[in-house]
Amino acid sequence: MRADLYTAPALFVLGAAMSYGGYTMDRLEIRQIHPASIPGLLPMLLGAALMLASVVLFLQARNALASGPQPEADTGSTRDLVLTALSCGVYALLLVGNIPFPAATAIFVASFILIFEADPSRGKAHLARIAAIAIVLGVAVAAATSILFRYAFLVRLP
Amino acid sequence: MIEAFTRLFDAFATLSTFEMVFHAAWATLLGIAVGSLPGLTATMGVALLTTLTYSLPREAAILVLICMYVGAIYGGSRSAILLNIPGTPASAATTLDGFPLAKQGRAAYAMSVATTGSTLGTLVGIVMLVALAPALSDLALKFGSFEYFWLAVFGVLISGQLTSGTTPVKGYIAGILGLMVAMIGSEGLHAHVRFSFGFDQLNGGIGLIPAMVGAFGLAEVLMVMWQPKAQVVRSEREKGAGLPRFMEAWKYRVTVLRSGIIGTIVGLIPGVGEDIGAWASYAAAKRKSKERDQFGKGSIEGLTAAETGNSAVVPGALIPALTLAVPGSAPAAVLIAALFIHGIRPGPMIMIEQPDFIYLVAVMLFFATVAIFIFGISLAPVFEFVLRVPRERLMPVVFTLCVIGPYALTQRIFDIWVMVFFGFLGFALRRLGYPMPPLVLGIILGDLLDKNLRRGLTLSDGDLSPFFTRPFSMVFVALIVFTIMAGIPVVRRQVGRLSGAIANMGRGT
Repeated sequence: MRADLYTAPALFVLGAAMSYGGYTMDRLEIRQIHPASIPGLLPMLLGAALMLASVVLFLQARNALASGPQPEADTGSTRDLVLTALSCGVYALLLVGNIPFPAATAIFVASFILIFEADPSRGKAHLARIAAIAIVLGVAVAAATSILFRYAFLVRLP
Repeated sequence: MIEAFTRLFDAFATLSTFEMVFHAAWATLLGIAVGSLPGLTATMGVALLTTLTYSLPREAAILVLICMYVGAIYGGSRSAILLNIPGTPASAATTLDGFPLAKQGRAAYAMSVATTGSTLGTLVGIVMLVALAPALSDLALKFGSFEYFWLAVFGVLISGQLTSGTTPVKGYIAGILGLMVAMIGSEGLHAHVRFSFGFDQLNGGIGLIPAMVGAFGLAEVLMVMWQPKAQVVRSEREKGAGLPRFMEAWKYRVTVLRSGIIGTIVGLIPGVGEDIGAWASYAAAKRKSKERDQFGKGSIEGLTAAETGNSAVVPGALIPALTLAVPGSAPAAVLIAALFIHGIRPGPMIMIEQPDFIYLVAVMLFFATVAIFIFGISLAPVFEFVLRVPRERLMPVVFTLCVIGPYALTQRIFDIWVMVFFGFLGFALRRLGYPMPPLVLGIILGDLLDKNLRRGLTLSDGDLSPFFTRPFSMVFVALIVFTIMAGIPVVRRQVGRLSGAIANMGRGT
């Protein structure tokens, strides 16, 4: 996979950072712990292992590319992916915690359905039907999850 | 032996209440629905349902999660047969013969074969669970820090090796990344906080449930919305096609038994999971079959092998999860977290502290098996209907649960951020060809690896030799070396040539 040529160096840097972090970590001499039980020991080893694995990955990717064309990866809709990631990100990172959970959920569910199902080219009747479904489902999901978690599981909703 | 039967009988009596049967019924039904829908995996189902079981009594909560697990693994066969898309990765091998049968107009027949296969596979696994778990628990009591260190290394390596296809190094990298995630927060020996970068919320480490819900929930939502829509094949309602297929099961009884045993053994291997169990059983059935030319064209034997194999992994995966606290699959990893939440400490002490628990789990699995059999035979048309729910309406509901589920455990907004981070990371890693099970296993085993490495070195005063000279340690080292060597293509090719040459010499003499 061509992407491995780029991810391998990034993983190598991550491994080096992990090893460095483990090496410079407090060795707790003041608490007179056994030197073999320092907290940075395993992070150092894991960093080294990741560096080694990333070198192997890079070499394998380079050899595979040199040996001929690679099979194409599965493709999907980038537009749908970006819209999904944006909707989910806005809901989880911005709406939840800043406005009441039921309102955030109703807005998210309704907008998600509208974004992916509404097709303006199919006329106003179609748009009205999708909007009605989106609103009803949004309110229903928001009410059901809020009631379930608030009253059945005694969760203080965000 | 008699003691085991007595404990099984007691467990059966404990769980045979209306309340427990009710929990088993709804959780299995939900599990089948979750497994049926491409994009909703067993791991995600168990992780989300864990967040809904906080307030349930202990036995009921574990029963619900096990029924979800068994139901989801079985439910994956529905979409594998009708859509040619495995509902969960466990059903990938089911598509090979299930979908051709559906295209021949025999979808209902294929689903009933799958139901019978799954039922028998889980039953074989349950028998092996009851037989092996107490023995493994006794063996694990002989393990010290040195052996636990190697067990964790072996778990991550073998999981990486067997789940990464042709590039084992990607599996290893996923495992190392999981172990690195486990390094965040307060460590287990001296309570020193590592890699928190000044965020107080990271002092306690990364929660497994938010990470799993992200890696298997949000990542799946993104994957489902990114991929093209699937078309459902309509199943013909041929007379009697939905009835149980015991005649076929009897005809292929050797395949059923072999696949059940292979599935359970695959389940025993840390972090490997149901998909490998199905593929291994399918490959073994194809190799031994008299009808191997039918495999891939709608073979009943192939379908039976795949479904028996993946279902047998479930009890198999619970054996190391209960006795060593090392999960045999990704959903079993979530189950371990759920066990801790409900006050059960899995590990070698389980047969001493809670000797009845393994038998309770066996009976819970049996309840789930009965439920999948009844629902699988009687509600086939309902699950076909579930498959027709548009993804645009299902995915926002799933994501809402992904958000509120992890939050409900600690009531911290930070856990929602963790879920989102792991969701995007999980999607990116999957697109780049990195398997998820080693990552999950790394997160689970990081603490075990870290504590036992440093504890072992402290016990030996910095001497490395006990890691290599104690008998069980030597076995683990040999297994690890073998695993790594088997992952190197040049070594694999040379071994293949050598064994071919030996076989030829044998034929010549």
